[in-house]
Amino acid sequence: MRKVKQILPLALAMVVLLLLFNLWVPDFLKPENMLDLVQQISVNAILAFGMTLVILIGGIDLSVGALLALVGTTTVYILAKGQSDGQSLRWLMIAVLAGLGVAAGFGAFNGLCASKTKMPPFIITLAMMLVARGAALRFNEGRPMRIPDHETILLALGNGRLFGMVPIPVIVMLTLFALVAIVLHRTRFGQHLYAIGGNREAARFTGIPLVRNEILVYMACSVLTGMAGLIHTSQLYSAEPASGVMFELNAIAAAVVGGTSFTGGRGTIYGTLIGAIIIGILDKGLNQAGVHFSLQYIVKGLVILIAVYMDVRRR
Amino acid sequence: MVQSAANEAELLTFDSVTKRFGGVTALDSVNFGLRQGEIHALVGENGAGKSTLIKVLGGIHLPDSGTIRIFGQPANIRSVADANRYGIRIIHQELSLVPHLSIAENIYLGREPQGLAGLCRRKMTADAETLITDLGLHEIRSVGTAVSQLSIAHQQLVEIARALSCQARILVLDEPTSSLSEAETEALFVTLRRLRSQGAGIIYISHRLEEVMRLADRITVLRDGRSMGTQFTQQLNQRELIRWMVGRDIKDHFHRPAFKTGKPALTVDNLSSPTIHNVSFELHYGEVLGLAGLVGSGRTELARALFGIDPVHKGEIRIDGQTVSINSPGDALDKGIVLVPEDRKQEGLVMFQSVGFNLALPWVNEWISGWFPSRRKRREIIDRAINGFSIKVAHPEQSIDTLSGGNQQKALVGRWMERRPKILILDEPTRGVDVGAREELFAIIGSLVESGMAVLLISSDLSEVLHTSHRIALYRDGRILDTVNAADITEEQIMEQLVGAKVSEKG
Repeated sequence: MRKVKQILPLALAMVVLLLLFNLWVPDFLKPENMLDLVQQISVNAILAFGMTLVILIGGIDLSVGALLALVGTTTVYILAKGQSDGQSLRWLMIAVLAGLGVAAGFGAFNGLCASKTKMPPFIITLAMMLVARGAALRFNEGRPMRIPDHETILLALGNGRLFGMVPIPVIVMLTLFALVAIVLHRTRFGQHLYAIGGNREAARFTGIPLVRNEILVYMACSVLTGMAGLIHTSQLYSAEPASGVMFELNAIAAAVVGGTSFTGGRGTIYGTLIGAIIIGILDKGLNQAGVHFSLQYIVKGLVILIAVYMDVRRR
Repeated sequence: MVQSAANEAELLTFDSVTKRFGGVTALDSVNFGLRQGEIHALVGENGAGKSTLIKVLGGIHLPDSGTIRIFGQPANIRSVADANRYGIRIIHQELSLVPHLSIAENIYLGREPQGLAGLCRRKMTADAETLITDLGLHEIRSVGTAVSQLSIAHQQLVEIARALSCQARILVLDEPTSSLSEAETEALFVTLRRLRSQGAGIIYISHRLEEVMRLADRITVLRDGRSMGTQFTQQLNQRELIRWMVGRDIKDHFHRPAFKTGKPALTVDNLSSPTIHNVSFELHYGEVLGLAGLVGSGRTELARALFGIDPVHKGEIRIDGQTVSINSPGDALDKGIVLVPEDRKQEGLVMFQSVGFNLALPWVNEWISGWFPSRRKRREIIDRAINGFSIKVAHPEQSIDTLSGGNQQKALVGRWMERRPKILILDEPTRGVDVGAREELFAIIGSLVESGMAVLLISSDLSEVLHTSHRIALYRDGRILDTVNAADITEEQIMEQLVGAKVSEKG
């Protein structure tokens, strides 16, 4: 239960923040508003789960924002190619798999470069960010592509509600959360990630396959990005080649606010979820309080700084 | 035997200095005096308080009570900068040089001479050259060389040069010879003796008592945070010193396990890589084969090649007579080879994780099968390692960096005993491990060998190799010169072989 103890202060900070905003903004804590909040953080939370895995092994992935756009454009482009009228489940599957496949490909490449060469992950993924962005802009001359209205399943992914209440993106996010939590905290793969990030050489000497694990981590991050991309596209009702700018930074912020150490080897997925929620509360709360957007940036920046400072001091 | 008469010529005096960390008293009214022109050794087991004393002197920790005097005047050392102002320079085990900068730039780091036109590179170079020549570093061609291209020994001398250029009067060396070869150690001693004759006060910390006996003028022993007194080196012999340090009699450092000739466990035939050349040897079950070589002779590279970390170009490795191909540490482990690496902190342990995490790591497959990890199995694995190797922990989930060097080393070896390897390669297993823990470690390894394990022991400590091995392979420049029975050779003869060959090659 050490992990619970580690995130206790963070959970406390989240509750305090919620109560503070409730004093400031009337009805902030009302269920409808809270559901709205979790819906808004779903995309960032999913990106942050993947980012946590990568940071945990001492890496970084700057390409997620651009990749998110590329997955959206790829999927919608293929979807538009395949049908004339009416929804075809087969084409939807093909389009989604193509989108996720592109994501997996980028992840595999990032992981391969990071593990097999001496190039720093920061630079590799910076370069791949440009490649992915360029690739996304190739579609439809860089203009948004609408999702046809009859694609109800894809549109429901970002906008639907289960039993008319729980937003579907939240369900997807929580499912992925559970999945990543199990993989990270309950499998040998997860244990190996902590070892690799904690001390790469020590991991090597205990026979942990570094290359394979590293590739898998970057692929997991990219496929999660793909899922986030599908949701985001659905929420916009269209694939926007220019969307997702700075999303990688928000995901990194959620992970580090959640206690993931930037040097690797430390962090939990529970912390990351809370980190994403804290950032979501700030976004939504400040917005509803009518704070000017310029000030919102400043406040968010300072909160991230304070959170990470507290975390570093605790160690 | 305790000599504590205050000496007015004392350069540095610790006057009942006490330092507590929470409930633990790290230094308990410690008295200590350093004279000008003296090499003063500070010895004691790990945890005796040597490093705390040094950190108090260096301004990293503030003492809770007591006085530090310099030339009899109370000194107020509250920071590293203060310590430097008093002329105190500490050369830590981990060197603090910037690898990509040149020798001259490192010497003047933080106090670069600057004129109107920016850095005075010419002055820096000229001064650095003088310093380097004074230290007898004739082999270095240019002070513009990047420090990363120097050997550890030379890097250490650059640190000393830096200290001297700051007008250091009190020089502290913490385990300076742990990564030096015998020849480099000798060269360092010559330098230290010259500095002594120039009036510097040198505090020398080392686990290697032979060196201490040879180098130091006086010796102060710390035990459990208390100073046990100071003696002139001439009045002591090594056995007395050990007894004084540990407070009991240690019969001998080492004990060689009984040798029962077993079948060959590992046969290496003409193994070659860029750093090793046609190495052939045979290692039997129940045998300790010592690999004696100077630092830089390629011993670690051989170990890494056997363990599948570095690629091999040519040659054959046989285990139990079967030819095997080892391309990764995973392969090696599958075949029953374990390598305990040289550098505990860099290559061995995940330092900020718990003892349990580190002990259970190689056996993840045992305690996580399917989706759900078994806490019980994990705990059993951890307990077996802790008990089997008598690792001293308060709790298995305490952070491993709170353990002493000896206990960390025991953890590093002990974690492989869950399923005993056939072949255990130990690379410098006793570096930074105190006498008591070293004895324990070798007792355990001895019993493993007696139960049939094959051990390849790599060590710079020749007496350690000599007294624990059955046979010794003399190793130089990536080649095995000769393999001899340990009973038929002396430490001096090994040294002659290793160094003599080196000299003849130069000529």
